Amino acid sequence: MIAKWIGKRVIMGTIVLIIVSFLSFFMMHAAPGNPAAAYYGGNAQTLSTAEKERIETAFGLDQPILYQYGVWLQEALQGNLGYSAKEGRPVATIIQERLPNTLQLVVLTLGIVAIASTWLGIQAGMKEGSLLDRGLSFVSIASSAIPPFWLGILFIMVFSVQLGWFPTSGMKDVRGDGGLVDRLYHMVLPLSVLVLSHVGVFARFLQENVKAENHRYYVQVARANGVPERAIRKMVLRNAIIPYINYVGVTIPSFFGGSIVVETLFGWSGLGQLLVKAVMVKDFPVLMGAILIIGVVVVFCLFVIDVLMIFLNPRLRRGGIV
Amino acid sequence: MFKMENVTVQINEKFILNNLSFTVPKGQISVIIGESGSGKSTTLSAILGILPALATVEGSIFFNGRNLVALAKQDQAALRQRHFFTIFQDAANSFSPTQKMKQQLYGLTALRMGQTMAVFLAKMKRIVQDLHLPDDVLERYPFELSGGMLQRCMLACALYLEPAVLLADEPTSSLDMLHQQEFIQQLKRLHSQLETTVLLIIHDLDVAASIADFILVMKNGEIVERGQVTEIFEQPKHPYTRQLVAHHF
Repeated sequence: MIAKWIGKRVIMGTIVLIIVSFLSFFMMHAAPGNPAAAYYGGNAQTLSTAEKERIETAFGLDQPILYQYGVWLQEALQGNLGYSAKEGRPVATIIQERLPNTLQLVVLTLGIVAIASTWLGIQAGMKEGSLLDRGLSFVSIASSAIPPFWLGILFIMVFSVQLGWFPTSGMKDVRGDGGLVDRLYHMVLPLSVLVLSHVGVFARFLQENVKAENHRYYVQVARANGVPERAIRKMVLRNAIIPYINYVGVTIPSFFGGSIVVETLFGWSGLGQLLVKAVMVKDFPVLMGAILIIGVVVVFCLFVIDVLMIFLNPRLRRGGIV
Repeated sequence: MFKMENVTVQINEKFILNNLSFTVPKGQISVIIGESGSGKSTTLSAILGILPALATVEGSIFFNGRNLVALAKQDQAALRQRHFFTIFQDAANSFSPTQKMKQQLYGLTALRMGQTMAVFLAKMKRIVQDLHLPDDVLERYPFELSGGMLQRCMLACALYLEPAVLLADEPTSSLDMLHQQEFIQQLKRLHSQLETTVLLIIHDLDVAASIADFILVMKNGEIVERGQVTEIFEQPKHPYTRQLVAHHF
């Protein structure tokens, strides 16, 4: 039963990735400009029409888009993501260098956001009408309304330029050893921006679930019959956390989206920064590779969330839904 | 044993209970009957201290000589925890959907008495057998049990706790005829075994007649008539009671 379910999820995930890559490929080619421009390097002005045609033929850019996509997909399925039009290095190697940096940022953000929002959501939800309950609504609106790039600029101005507490950008100090402490020190500002732009919304979501759960019939029955508050709290949390984890699952792509802005702003050498640079120079192989890898990570995270759901929700496990 | 004295409950300046006074005789089964909106469930909520935050309560609710209304919330809760158990109408929603019955029944019984899971299991397994519940009921989730089984699980809690007072709000309304009869028989058995004082709220007069020692008839937040079952059903005095009985039988 479980093996069949996992098989279904893998097939669905693969279909999602193919759709994502298909749409990305066609949207990139629909954008204004010549996809071959990245291969010209700095010589676009001096190259003759014949030379340009030769480059296009060499990289298959003169073929129909559907054919180009087919070739790319065939190679990608065999693990070959091609070569960067700008750097001339294998895309897989470039991504391998960048992916860990993005994952460090995203995983740490996700961890902090999950812990902080769970604590805040439960505290505020269980104490309805309290200052924390009312305050969290305000913080949530503020946190979702302030764009991360603006918050990032503000942080750089205050904590880097004026106070000098943290570096303005980069991943390591030029004089430092590039160790864990140095990495964490450089991560403080980008991490803070990502955490602050997500934590309020997540906490508010859980807070509302806790409140709704706290008014459910079974809670009234337990309370009227003197079940200790600690046990009631556990029961409420167990039920409120299910939609919350689902919500975390569907918003995981937004962490990667947020990291694009933050990595660019803070010079964090991750996939987000790579994507922005690739868009600027129309480096399509790198763009496609990065999108595909982010897609794989997101699909994997959603798979993990689905597995968690099975453990948390007995209806899925025992109700024969799986 | 259990007495309500001039209890008035107002919500948004509307009287839900109006100067309500009655006594629940010790060791008897008393049943409150009346139409929907007459204040039956509010009476129970007032006794349990679970009225909405907007509600104001006046008057006294005495239990063993102590006025529940005058006690601090913590003391009220402690007193109820020690002596009361309540079965609610909607058995299907009376339990959390994500916890096994074992944990939930433990929370409703042994945990509140400070007993361990081992002690709980030893006693509860016997009760569950007595109530003809499936052997693996404690390992099941609420959605794997019928409404009748869930209501019997609540009854199992009452048997475990042996409370001085058992309150129940329409405990049979969500059950079919067969399960209704079964539940009533088991409730009677519990009452005769433990001599528990029982206060039931029942909509169905057949059920009320089959179980009650003493009947209270409620209308518009007031008790309009009270008496033994035979008095109420054979010689009703108040026009409202006569109307209720005439429409039913």
